[in-house]
Amino acid sequence: MKDTPTYHDRPALKPSGFDVRVAAYVAILGTAGAAQLLALLADREDPDDREGIAQGGRALGLAGALLGSVVLIGHLKTPKRWYNMLRILRPQSPMSWGSWLLTGFGGASFLAWLADSIGWRRGARMAQVPAGIAGAGVATYTASLLAATSNPLWSAAPGPLAAQFGASSMAGGASALALLQRRAGRVRSAQQLEDIARLALIAEWVAMQATEGRWRKEGVAQPIQEGTPALLEQGGGKALGMLAPLVLGAIGRPGLASAAILAGGALMRLAVLRAGDASAQRPRDSLHFARQRRP
Amino acid sequence: MMDGGLIQPGGQESERTAGVRIEPGRSYGFFTDTTLCIGCKACEVACKEWNGLPADGEMRLTGHSYDNTGALGAETWRHVGFVERMDKRPGEMKPFQSDWIMFSDVCKHCDPAPCLEACPTGAIYRSEFDTVVVQQDICNGCSYCVPACPFGVVEVSKADGKAHKCTLCHDRMKGGLEPACAKSCPTDSIQFGVVEELIERAERRVEALHEAGQDQAYLYGAPGTPGANAGIDRLNAFFLLTERPEVHGLPAAPTRPAARARPSFLSGLATVAGLAAVALIVGVGGRR
Repeated sequence: MKDTPTYHDRPALKPSGFDVRVAAYVAILGTAGAAQLLALLADREDPDDREGIAQGGRALGLAGALLGSVVLIGHLKTPKRWYNMLRILRPQSPMSWGSWLLTGFGGASFLAWLADSIGWRRGARMAQVPAGIAGAGVATYTASLLAATSNPLWSAAPGPLAAQFGASSMAGGASALALLQRRAGRVRSAQQLEDIARLALIAEWVAMQATEGRWRKEGVAQPIQEGTPALLEQGGGKALGMLAPLVLGAIGRPGLASAAILAGGALMRLAVLRAGDASAQRPRDSLHFARQRRP
Repeated sequence: MMDGGLIQPGGQESERTAGVRIEPGRSYGFFTDTTLCIGCKACEVACKEWNGLPADGEMRLTGHSYDNTGALGAETWRHVGFVERMDKRPGEMKPFQSDWIMFSDVCKHCDPAPCLEACPTGAIYRSEFDTVVVQQDICNGCSYCVPACPFGVVEVSKADGKAHKCTLCHDRMKGGLEPACAKSCPTDSIQFGVVEELIERAERRVEALHEAGQDQAYLYGAPGTPGANAGIDRLNAFFLLTERPEVHGLPAAPTRPAARARPSFLSGLATVAGLAAVALIVGVGGRR
């Protein structure tokens, strides 16, 4: 890679400018989407917890869709034209599917919440089905959105990165529900959710190893191994988001463990976004990466 | 008459200046020949003038040879690059300016176009001239086209919050005029025309250069050549180069970003589905 020429060491690509708001959106919708999916799977015949998880999922889904939309619209450089996102559906563009998935997810979450709050349980369960399915979509499409760019770091590992984001979303969704269940004093289902979150963390760790391995192999790993992104990834994503929850869980602080998983997941997304924009501005990385794509 | 203003008495101006009729339904582009560029920057100036583009900020010297423009961006749709070769002596140089290489860069109007495929609003569209244009009244500044572009061309302007790039002078073409940069180029390093005809002309030019002793000349962006060999079928604005593409900051094998969307999404969904199955085994508020 050292012998890759560049044009006066000038960047050959432009950074996206996706800032902390986009990272927040990815984390919020990941958590809300996974919570709705878990709520769809929740066993409503549980004598201890008739509708607790389902209601928690609906609340998280609706709040996440509303908050996420506000954050995302705020990120647009011409926010008053946000509605143009729903002008077309473009199958090649994950941002286009994402806009529709978010709309569907928010709509179904609202209907499920509304039906539940007027006591129409059957209606709530019916709306829960599309909400849970769209939840799986919003929990994972953001990684496809990054993969479908020309950014070396984002596009080098499309499959593993999506697995990493999806698993992180499931860990976050289960942790958010666990926090709600603990607050309501439903300890047994909270413990189940904490177990699910821990298993999702293991899956995330495995996917992360695959992603990082691909980054190193392609010679694009440098931006996430140095500076702020490295701190966010190692200190936030791994130490706070993976190691700390295991320790906190073991010493009997499950609430803090769940909070650490949520915070760590958000910082991991921020690390990937920041490192990607740094990656775009490293001409040797991007030009070497592009040369390796020759048929 | 439904001619879109393209029919003028005495024929279109483009027929006289570029030898080509501009008609909707055909593919138009640029053939930019680095062996003819003299680095005069008339293209940059003509582009700024015609399109009413503001200056790039403060006047500054980059130290990168005569390139004080720097890069393509929201306010710069033509950019002349300068590469000085210091390693050869007179007599060792190949003919045709092989030691001071000037290169006028521009949006490639890719087919398929990654920026267009990324655009969620439909603001970026493929025009009746097979060019790629941003509709300023629709763009909402989501910025997704910016990382999608494999060439770092499109940019969202800080001034108005919309994405901007070369339109191949869409307005001029509507009026039967050759794009401003090509018309102003004094050496015909920038040639405007029907893409298929330009490719034929460019292939003949490569042969002629090889015969004249410049054996490094090759096309970048014509179908199957570097730039259009790894997912992008062709660049409607393509180039004749004598150096590796990277010397000009061009990727040797840009890919089609949209091809990664589905495999990535399926991998993510499979992971989420797998973990959902795990959740069912663990139990989500399960029966006693």
